[in-house]
Amino acid sequence: MKTILSTDMMEIPEGVTVRVKAKVVEVEGPRGKLTRNFKHLNLDFQLIEGGRKLKVDAWFGSRKTTAAIRTAISHVQNLITGVTKGYRYKMRFVYAHFPINASITNNNSSIEIRNFLGEKKVRKVDMLEGVKIVRSEKVKDELVLDGNDIELVSRSAALINQKCHVKNKDIRKFLDGIYVSEKGTIVEE
Amino acid sequence: MPFKRYVEIGRVALVNYGKDYGRLVVIVDVVDQNRALVDAPNIVRGQMNFKRLSLTDIKIDIPRLPKKKTLIAAMEAADVQNKWENSSWGRKLIVQKRRAALNDFDRFKVMLARIKRGGAIQQELAKLKKQNTS
Repeated sequence: MKTILSTDMMEIPEGVTVRVKAKVVEVEGPRGKLTRNFKHLNLDFQLIEGGRKLKVDAWFGSRKTTAAIRTAISHVQNLITGVTKGYRYKMRFVYAHFPINASITNNNSSIEIRNFLGEKKVRKVDMLEGVKIVRSEKVKDELVLDGNDIELVSRSAALINQKCHVKNKDIRKFLDGIYVSEKGTIVEE
Repeated sequence: MPFKRYVEIGRVALVNYGKDYGRLVVIVDVVDQNRALVDAPNIVRGQMNFKRLSLTDIKIDIPRLPKKKTLIAAMEAADVQNKWENSSWGRKLIVQKRRAALNDFDRFKVMLARIKRGGAIQQELAKLKKQNTS
């Protein structure tokens, strides 16, 4: 059945300007600017109250389009926190016998992983645009990924994780790898 | 981008298909997702699909399903006919009707008038060109 109108609103905090034109949302804040394209959705985006609130409508929507309203709002909220607080993902090296040897290259935007499970193969992972990677000083075997766009930061973390999968072994026993240990923001409150 | 003309009780719409093509009607009730109950001063109240209606900017204040008398009184009070004829959409429709109803002699007169108007424009343009070059 088609619901005549389903709508949802979200508050935009101070210090952030949001512009929306033709389903392309642009968010600007202290840490920079992020844009996201929602042209694949059948929704109406409009700014009300002079830019303080964002209203999303779905006219005559099926269950799926109605569900997409809240996900679109969540995506915009992630853009806003990215542009105000930034995203920091921390990853830990886990190894039983062979210490994972990682070196950061290319002025903090790519990582080389050696000696994973004693293998001779060198794994190189380039970070996506806007993501910086750094080896944590005080904590042993930790990587910190920083960036504004949650999609890019989490995808870079996934790329590192996927490069260090164990092959042809019982993965319940060979637990080596680089795993995401914490998902947070750069600016703590 | 957001919608400004809503389907509501009292919305004035133009019929764009069917027997009553070109007539202004008032939406009096909504039957279901696709159809409305529609009424106008000289038609019998009946249902019409929304696809046959083009919504206008005009809205009048009526209760749901008013009697014909109250409907006509409300339309007079809101001055629907005048507002329509003075709006740009309404004026364009009137001009289209007038042009469609011309006979051959009228079209001849229109041709002469257009030539005369074109001549006057060209004269002014020539004057301005001369001013610019001199």
